[in-house]
Amino acid sequence: MSTDADTHGRSTVRLVGDGAAGPRTFRLLALGSVLVLSASYVSVLREVTRVVGGTEALFALAGAMVVLATVLARTIRPWTAGVLALAAGSLGFAYYLEAAGVGVDVLVSATDGVVADSLTLATGMPLLQMVEAGAWTLAFVPAPVFLSWYLALRGRYALSVVPGGLALCFLVLTGDAGTIVTLLGTLAAIATVGFGELARRGGSVAQVDLIAVLLAVVIVLSLSVTFVPSGPATPTTAAGAGDGTLEGAIDAEPERSAITGTVDLSPEARFTVESERPSYWRTGVYDRYTGDEWLRSGQESDLEGALEPPPGEYETVEQEVYAERDLRVVPAATQPLSIDGSIADDATVSAHGQVYPDSILAAGESYTVESAVVDPEPAELQQAGTSYPEEVTEHYLQRPESTSSAFDERTAEITADAETPYETAVAIEDYLRSSNDYSLEVERPDGDVAEAFLLEMDEGYCVYFATAMTQMLRAEDVPARYATGYTAGEEVEEDTYTVRGLDAHAWVEVYFPGHGWVPFEPTPPADRDAAHEAYADGTPAETPHDAELDDDGQEPDEDVGDGSNVTDGADESPTNGSDEEFPGNDGEFGEETDRGPDEEAEGGPDIGPDDSSSDEEFPLGLSIPRETAAIGAVLLVGLAAGVRRVDAIARTRRLAGLYWQGRRGEPDADAERAFRRLERLLAREYRPRQPSESARTYLRALERETDDGPAVDPRARTVLERYERAVYGGGVTRSEAEEAIECVDGLVRERLALPGRRRR
Amino acid sequence: MSDADPTSPTGAETTDGEEPLSISTVADLGAEIESNVSRVIVGNGDVVEHVVTALLGRGHILLEDVPGVGKTMLARSIARSVDCRFRRIQFTPDLLPTDVTGVNVFNEKTREFEFQPGPIFGNIVLGDEINRAPPKTQSALLEAMEETQVTVDGETRVLPTPFTVIATQNAVEPNRTYELPFAELDRFTKKLHLGYPEPEEEAALLGRTVGDHPIESLEPVTDRGTVVRARETVSTVRVERPVREYVTRLAGYTREHARIGASPRGTIALLRVAQARAATDGRDYVLPDDVQAEAPVVLAHRIQTGDRDRDGDAIVAEALESVPVDSDRA
Repeated sequence: MSTDADTHGRSTVRLVGDGAAGPRTFRLLALGSVLVLSASYVSVLREVTRVVGGTEALFALAGAMVVLATVLARTIRPWTAGVLALAAGSLGFAYYLEAAGVGVDVLVSATDGVVADSLTLATGMPLLQMVEAGAWTLAFVPAPVFLSWYLALRGRYALSVVPGGLALCFLVLTGDAGTIVTLLGTLAAIATVGFGELARRGGSVAQVDLIAVLLAVVIVLSLSVTFVPSGPATPTTAAGAGDGTLEGAIDAEPERSAITGTVDLSPEARFTVESERPSYWRTGVYDRYTGDEWLRSGQESDLEGALEPPPGEYETVEQEVYAERDLRVVPAATQPLSIDGSIADDATVSAHGQVYPDSILAAGESYTVESAVVDPEPAELQQAGTSYPEEVTEHYLQRPESTSSAFDERTAEITADAETPYETAVAIEDYLRSSNDYSLEVERPDGDVAEAFLLEMDEGYCVYFATAMTQMLRAEDVPARYATGYTAGEEVEEDTYTVRGLDAHAWVEVYFPGHGWVPFEPTPPADRDAAHEAYADGTPAETPHDAELDDDGQEPDEDVGDGSNVTDGADESPTNGSDEEFPGNDGEFGEETDRGPDEEAEGGPDIGPDDSSSDEEFPLGLSIPRETAAIGAVLLVGLAAGVRRVDAIARTRRLAGLYWQGRRGEPDADAERAFRRLERLLAREYRPRQPSESARTYLRALERETDDGPAVDPRARTVLERYERAVYGGGVTRSEAEEAIECVDGLVRERLALPGRRRR
Repeated sequence: MSDADPTSPTGAETTDGEEPLSISTVADLGAEIESNVSRVIVGNGDVVEHVVTALLGRGHILLEDVPGVGKTMLARSIARSVDCRFRRIQFTPDLLPTDVTGVNVFNEKTREFEFQPGPIFGNIVLGDEINRAPPKTQSALLEAMEETQVTVDGETRVLPTPFTVIATQNAVEPNRTYELPFAELDRFTKKLHLGYPEPEEEAALLGRTVGDHPIESLEPVTDRGTVVRARETVSTVRVERPVREYVTRLAGYTREHARIGASPRGTIALLRVAQARAATDGRDYVLPDDVQAEAPVVLAHRIQTGDRDRDGDAIVAEALESVPVDSDRA
């Protein structure tokens, strides 16, 4: 990132500054800091455009603003510039509203809504949740960049920090600005003000240490005090599951689904469903893929009445769900139409038609949900065509800008023979099922997960399979989305399914005109069942798997131990039912689930736990210290500057020298040192001696100024006399020096009474 | 034109073989002279002290002030207190060098030229209104001051010891005077200002001078020989390296901050009078304080600032303000 380079340059200049730094240098440093500040929030916005597109436009706009500000800095007055920036901002947001399909005219009538939206953003809604996030960044960027650079060029450094600071602050509140970027921006802001002041008032390099101290203080504060309600960071796992579990990852929050490395599975029961047919119980739908995680864009609305049914034929299935533990999700078969029960009054529905609870669904509570299950024949899907509605293509073809051409090429290769979207989906599904193995123990790749999984990785679990498939479909212009939830679970009685933590799952939904969203299953079902049942058996407890989880700060899941209780049941092939689940999809789901679980029972845990554990530790040992080291370095510089500023070392030495005469040496040196101690004592008591003041003048002056204390003590005169004789006269004898030392000792003890050492 | 005291010995004989005085004796001596002089000179205690330290530090004094503030009286009372030959030369525009140094006169009886010593042959010589004489005559006095000898008709004659010139200079009527050349100003160890007395001091002064002038009844407190021995003692006062370095730093400061700074002659003179001051304070070593006390009067008149707004006094004051006393406290 450019910010890093800038900062590095700045600190280098600072360190090699050689005392001759004039206002010009400080001005350059201040301007550089403004640029760093601007770069900090632009880089946050870039993260958004990287996902939704428009990076070039964003950079071009920011650059144009800098150029414009440079040109106008000399020609227009600040008020004009302020109005101009305001106009630019308004124009930008008008453009955003148009792009979002709201229309500027609506704005006037819907001010409440706009205010509410802004509030939602400011209280932690990530930018990427906005439907038109790209347009929003373009609307956002011009005003602060222009205004801050304009003001900085005009020498109003303190003021120039305000627009940039506000912009960064807003992005912090939305939760998009990460710690390091925020820190950089804040440091740049402070450096701007500091260097700006130095440039204006003509400071010296010696005063730079004050800035360094300030920066260090900010770093320490930012690391120790958190005032931003950081919604995104708090682990609120959906089903009350632990952090390291699959459920915890995929349903981390209502609006985002994380992609993590190795996960654990909990055999605990989550809920029980009474349904005439088994299904995947969906808990979340996500449309926006960042490369790291899945997000849900669009506004949610309160659940009121029935939901929109799919466009084509469907079969209505009624389910009754009993929560076995506290739930933060509303599992339901795709696609829920209506919900009955206490939770219905307190739920929202996303733009994708997925229901989310606003409160926790307590253990023991239940609700009834009616779902429209789309169950078309493959032939029907073959003929569905590609005349997608606009709102579908707009949202469900999104891919990060950074997606490589290699990914596209590979996808094109795989789907070379496919002629219809359905064939494409089946080809991808088949390919993924056969090419990659199932394993819950994977090392989270650094870059784009879908890309890594398709091109590099050999194994993964449902999240990886589903992510890759969704993105591959989108690469082929087939609208697809990512769904999370649970598999059907274990049929404990007829039409009654117990769903456990280990049933957590992620899959793909593909849109077919005339039918709506149809689920696909890219994860090899047999492998998955085998691996999951191994958990239910408690097998993983015997593998090194537990130790590995400790790296994530996870306790080895106690649930694994409990697993033995449910083993019997779990063995009865809980996915039995899912066999019939999506018959139309020609084996996408669970066709092979019945293959003996024993065949590859060891499949999951078997796959080189040693490798993955060593791999896991290696980047951990490298990546964290880089940031820590940078922060530590800045801290050290600040600390050193602070020590220099307050002269701490010299102070400590002076204080120590006041108490202890030290080892005896030559009598003259001892007498001199005795006087230095007296001098320190007097400096503490009254004032330090001026360099141009002779010892005698100093003492006399103090005698005149005071009528009490050590200055008028006759012992002080003795010490002075001994000192003068030692330095200017012929020297002192041992006993005279001792006498001087004794006098000082007495004075020091009286003035700074050490406990237990006071003599008189 | 001379104000000779015929009873006093000239002091031409040497004082070798006599023991130097102890420091405490010198201190007592200085205090006695000061108190004696202050019976005549009211106030100006520090000026009297400066004159005494100049006397003991083998220096010459230039008193510059308006007329009538007691310049001559100060010189006379010093001379009286010390009981040695006091001579006075009133400088006038027509004064010749021989009027100062003396002249060879043809003795009719012996048919030989005899040297008739001029008023310079005294122990304490008061050169009154020295700036009224032309430079030629001034230089005769100044040669004597520097060399402690005079040359008349090619014959060099040694001046008596102690030999101290106290010259006065009128600060008024500058256009009717011959300003002392800067190089000759440098030969005066100190340049002092008496200034007007304080109101109560002046009242006391008036009370004393009604009736007999106290100078008439002033008794000597010491003799010539004692002063010579005291001078010997003063020259043995210890000047340690830190003090020498301090003096060097002060002089360096004046050289850096003025067109012409203090000369090495100035720093030598400064150390000599600092020695005298240390001795009169009862110490056998010089402290920076001695230097600080003497520096303004010793250095200021040797400095040419080249700046109308700042004179030598200001430069020396600045130097004392900013030059660190100890070399390690810079």
